[in-house]
Amino acid sequence: MVRLFLIQTFLWLACGMVAEAQDARHEIAAATLLKGEAAQIKALNGLMGQADDAIFPLLEAWRKDRLFLYEANGKTVPVLLVGAKDKEGMQAAERIDTGKPLVDEKGAAIRLNAEDLNAVAHSANLRRVMKAVLDLTDLASSEPAKRRSALAAIGQAQQLEKLPALEKRLAVEKDADVLAALHEAIALVRLKSPDRAVKVAALKELEQIQSLASTDFIATVEKEAKLAKDENLAVHAHTTLLAINRHRSVVDFGGTLFRSLSLGSILLIVALGLAITFGLMGVINMAHGEMIAIGAYTTYVVQNVFAAGLALSPFGFSVMIPGLHATGWFKESYFLFALPLSFLTAAVAGILLERGVIRFLYRRPLESLLATWGVSLLLQQLLRLTFGANNVQVGSPSYLSGNWVVADILLGWNRIFVIAFAALIVFGVWLLLTKTPVGLLIRAVTQNRAMASCMGVRTERVNTLTFALGSGLAGLAGAFLSQIGNVGPSLGQSYIVDSFMVVVVGGVGNLVGTIISGLGIGSFDQFVQQYSPSVAGALTEVPWVGGFLQNLAQDSAVFGKILVLCAIILFLQWRPSGLFAVRSRNLD
Amino acid sequence: MSEAPENPLSPPPLSNSTAGILAFAAGAMLILPALDAGGVIDHFTLNLWGKYFCYALLALSVDLLWGWTGLLSLGQALFFALGGYMHGMYLMRMIGTQGQYHKPIPDFLVFLGWTDLPAFWKPFDQFTFAMAMVFFLPGILAFLFGWLAFRSRIKGVYFSILTQALTYAGALIFFRNNTLMGGNNGFTDFKEELGFALREPSTQRGLFVATAAALVGVVIFLRWLSGTKFGLVQRAIRDGENRTLFSGYATPAFKLFIFVIAGMIAAIGGALYVPQVGIINPSDMTPDKSLEAIVWVAVGGRGTLVGPILGAVAVNMLKSYATRAMPDLWLILLGGLFLLVVLFLPGGLVSLPEKIRGLWKKSIPATLPA
Amino acid sequence: MNIPRLSSILTVGALALATLVSPVKAEETVKVGVLHSLSGTMAISETSLRDVLLFTFDEINAKGGVLGRKIEPVVVDGASNWPLFAEKAKQLLEQDHVAVTFGCWTSVSRKSVLPVYEKNNGLLFYPVQYEGEEESKNVAYTAEAVNQQATPAVDYLLAQGVKKFYLLGSDYVYPQTTNLVLLEYLLSKGVPIENIGGGFRKDASGKIISAGKYTPFGHTDYQQIVAEIKQFAAGGGAAVVSTLNGDTNVPFFKEYAASGLTAETCPVVSFSISEDEFRGLPADKLVGQLGCWTYFQSIKSPANKKFVADFQAWLAKSTVPGIVKEGRVTCSPMVLSYDGVYLWKACVEKAGSFDVDKVREVWKSGVSFNGPGGKVTTQPNMHLTKNVFIGETKADGQFKILKSFDNVYGEPWLKGKFK
Repeated sequence: MVRLFLIQTFLWLACGMVAEAQDARHEIAAATLLKGEAAQIKALNGLMGQADDAIFPLLEAWRKDRLFLYEANGKTVPVLLVGAKDKEGMQAAERIDTGKPLVDEKGAAIRLNAEDLNAVAHSANLRRVMKAVLDLTDLASSEPAKRRSALAAIGQAQQLEKLPALEKRLAVEKDADVLAALHEAIALVRLKSPDRAVKVAALKELEQIQSLASTDFIATVEKEAKLAKDENLAVHAHTTLLAINRHRSVVDFGGTLFRSLSLGSILLIVALGLAITFGLMGVINMAHGEMIAIGAYTTYVVQNVFAAGLALSPFGFSVMIPGLHATGWFKESYFLFALPLSFLTAAVAGILLERGVIRFLYRRPLESLLATWGVSLLLQQLLRLTFGANNVQVGSPSYLSGNWVVADILLGWNRIFVIAFAALIVFGVWLLLTKTPVGLLIRAVTQNRAMASCMGVRTERVNTLTFALGSGLAGLAGAFLSQIGNVGPSLGQSYIVDSFMVVVVGGVGNLVGTIISGLGIGSFDQFVQQYSPSVAGALTEVPWVGGFLQNLAQDSAVFGKILVLCAIILFLQWRPSGLFAVRSRNLD
Repeated sequence: MSEAPENPLSPPPLSNSTAGILAFAAGAMLILPALDAGGVIDHFTLNLWGKYFCYALLALSVDLLWGWTGLLSLGQALFFALGGYMHGMYLMRMIGTQGQYHKPIPDFLVFLGWTDLPAFWKPFDQFTFAMAMVFFLPGILAFLFGWLAFRSRIKGVYFSILTQALTYAGALIFFRNNTLMGGNNGFTDFKEELGFALREPSTQRGLFVATAAALVGVVIFLRWLSGTKFGLVQRAIRDGENRTLFSGYATPAFKLFIFVIAGMIAAIGGALYVPQVGIINPSDMTPDKSLEAIVWVAVGGRGTLVGPILGAVAVNMLKSYATRAMPDLWLILLGGLFLLVVLFLPGGLVSLPEKIRGLWKKSIPATLPA
Repeated sequence: MNIPRLSSILTVGALALATLVSPVKAEETVKVGVLHSLSGTMAISETSLRDVLLFTFDEINAKGGVLGRKIEPVVVDGASNWPLFAEKAKQLLEQDHVAVTFGCWTSVSRKSVLPVYEKNNGLLFYPVQYEGEEESKNVAYTAEAVNQQATPAVDYLLAQGVKKFYLLGSDYVYPQTTNLVLLEYLLSKGVPIENIGGGFRKDASGKIISAGKYTPFGHTDYQQIVAEIKQFAAGGGAAVVSTLNGDTNVPFFKEYAASGLTAETCPVVSFSISEDEFRGLPADKLVGQLGCWTYFQSIKSPANKKFVADFQAWLAKSTVPGIVKEGRVTCSPMVLSYDGVYLWKACVEKAGSFDVDKVREVWKSGVSFNGPGGKVTTQPNMHLTKNVFIGETKADGQFKILKSFDNVYGEPWLKGKFK
């Protein structure tokens, strides 16, 4: 019936053209014209298992709104727009049913503008069917990643009719990861099997491969078994669940460790600059956060210079920064250029701040706090007036997006990059401070300013240099934060308290202390976040404040932060000058 | 100039200007409400001055610590807000069933799914209990924190950063809706205080008089304190803590006492602030608020009694004006002002006359001792 | 010089003065307050509303104003500071005597000015989606109520076959209330409680009173939460219902994309991301995520086309200091601000007066305006009947409209309705 209907539609469509063999192109063309989601889904289901090369590009185009309906003379022809747009936005049109250019009565090619046409509609249900179609075609894809995601989808769908196709792949599949996914998918589908023995075997298999994705399905099996009074099967399912949950807690722990490391690295990066200006110079720079923001905005500007340029309107004046219109890898490399530039911009801002404000306040540290807070307000509003109050968009280059899964633990590339770079920056700063003449001067001034001055060190200049270094590092931090969070005028505000905490706990003027305290605070926060909901119940036992603590622990994200702050206050009881205090007999 | 640049503030608080400020506040206490009742100034202006005076109390508490004892606390906003919250709890209970839900418990509890009043809310039906808590809760918190901090000899910048951590933690707790203190919205939409409708101008006049009286009281108290031996030790701590310690004074105990007193003064300001402004929420206890208060003191002139009051009123008047007149640029103006004052006028506005006199003298060539 | 001469000179002088003054007097204006944050954390969202309001006033003034009087905007900065909002509201009402105020974004700012408007019998137009549970005669809620955003979105997801819902939000009133309503709604639709993620909160007796995962304002670290969602969605058929506020969406979505979750594996429907917020988000990583508003810039209607074009043209010519001219978009809160001004104008003109009580009576009687997002109609409960659209994000930061619900009645009181 449906088939007949399809052919009729197609015949009507093709305006009497002699129907060629019913290929995928025609089926898709016909499907685009069907009314109603259900009919379209049915039509697309017919494509399941076909291996026509046209299926993939056409369905992809449909999903991404590149299939259009061209209406002329009361007829509707589905077309695909191809090739580059010309000045009027016109593109060449290709008929979906034949794959040939769309022509008018005289045989001349018709060019169309996507703006004037209606894209072929699609709903999420339809997309799911398209994905299922593509999944099966994807099973034969040359890319292992595609084969894997196809298998995940097939497994979740649990359709027994797909089992033979899957089993056939077992013999062909060579890639170890994909093979594991294939086993998982087969086991998941087999959970639906009417045969009890097959079900039990599937449960065993899932337990063995420690499939985290299967817990919902196993829970369903358990529930159904209980309903069917099949106690034995229910117990089987239950033990499987327990085993998988044990694996899950191991994964959680590993994941928490990684997240600790990554949060710790971020804290370290944002605090490092402050550790230098505060630690080595005793200056509280409340505008440190804005130095971070300057770094992030520099990244934004560089990104846009590599693309189409940037138009800004500071204080109502229009400024146009031309762009390089880079493409491909060159465009993607913007971030590598942005790193040194954000360091430089922030360092220059730091020099200005030091020369203009802070050098007058070296003897009044508490007032430097106030003055720099004024600077911070000023800079925030300046950024807002220059770049707008909205957050700006900084994209991640492709080499920083994506992830890597090790033993079910998810490691994001951007996070790995941050960790690696934190290590690199720390190493660089260490080299600078210990192995270079500049570093020698900085350390000399830090340890004994008066003596250094007597020995002929130009302490004023060293101050400026140190401040530039600290601010530059903040700028670098900004470039990184642009990859994981907001870039907006108040970006720095979110990190300023954290960075102060890291420096205070680490001990003033100590690089090792800063590293340990950054990582320590990061881990503390992440572990509290991960485990506080599960210990919330036990907290009620605490006298007096038990109920309050239990209530608090349920909001794990806040609880982590609050506990960190309390822990820091208590920690300083034990070590009032931080982890690694500079020992001194000096009394004020 | 007669004093060393590191220590421009060592002389005891000026007695002339103290008398001046007392006269001013006492005068304001009587004249402004009279003018308001007579219709000469509008209620808005009176209300605004009430708010400025509450801020002045906060500024005094900052100055007591910073200007007189050398402790820069970024935690005063926390005590201010806690005082406000304690009074606010009473005011919330006085709304009764006039809320949006017409339920006997505060609205925010209703939409968090609560049907009964949580136990810790119950005593706040009593005005006296709430007022006692205005002093006690901030006092106890200040005592605990101060005891920990001063015992381990945390001072200077460390003290500032730790108080910042304390305030931040407090704000985080109060921002949570499930702390059952109104979350981000805090307390608002108050109806009555001791049976008087808060929207009545006469109630607002009463609150203004109470605020001005509190300000006068605190000024008198601080004036007296600075004249005692205690005040002397306090300034000795500021100028050389170790020497004071070695002279046989238990400086941690002195500092702790001052910290608790300052916390309570801030709390009084907060408690009076709530019914006049009509809202208290956690954004009032962020570290930024404390910094703002410190800036008022810096602008006015620290280490004096007039300075903080002058600074609080002047900066807030400027803010009230600028947020209306130049909504886009006022932050730049304010930030720039702070910067200039800190750099070029470390003694604040109160030192301006002397500074001008100094410049005048300098312009006349004279032989001054080096 | 004798006395009569002096008096005649004075008279002439007075007359001259009067003629000098009178042309200004003749063109009488009506003062209208604009109360948004132009600095501080909320400036991110609210500055755009100030811009669109100024544009609307200019548009109306160019056509002769309201009741023959030009609109004179009084713009004040609430500075993301809630007590300051109350102060500014007092100033607008008691000193400037504005006829109406357009303003506020956050619930707390509305709550803080509400007593001021009730005391002075002022009128505030509030344009941003909110939690409901409020109905003041002094506020015209042009905003989306929960049933004009959250429940239609969930209906849509259920129809798409979503079985598991993870509730995530910022810790403030709007997400808390929305999630509470959604919890009741989902349960009433037969979604089992174990399929609702994010955690539950129980009262002393162990009864579940609310659901959802909450993060503080300005939260930057979503690693743990995304890992949790990844596990939640591992079995497929899951969606995230996000009421995170504008700013925190960036770190959340960047983390979400990096974890390999996509709109296909686990769609996120967000109620606080409009086109305007999208300007700060990595749009290419978010393709296919869902939004639900009463307006999208991509609506293909002549009214919308004209609105967008006129706004862009106005921006290009604008001399407001600090206004951003490039890359601007329009979004639902902006359009609801725009609709609000026109609805107020319509009410005033029908009432023949600027008097708040008379204007309110007209509002309650039902007034319609054909705005960029279609027809909006005022309701007796001070809310609006409007169209609701569900859209899917595209790589260019716009939404593709997937479904629309026409003339949805704004219902502020939803808690307990679906039990």
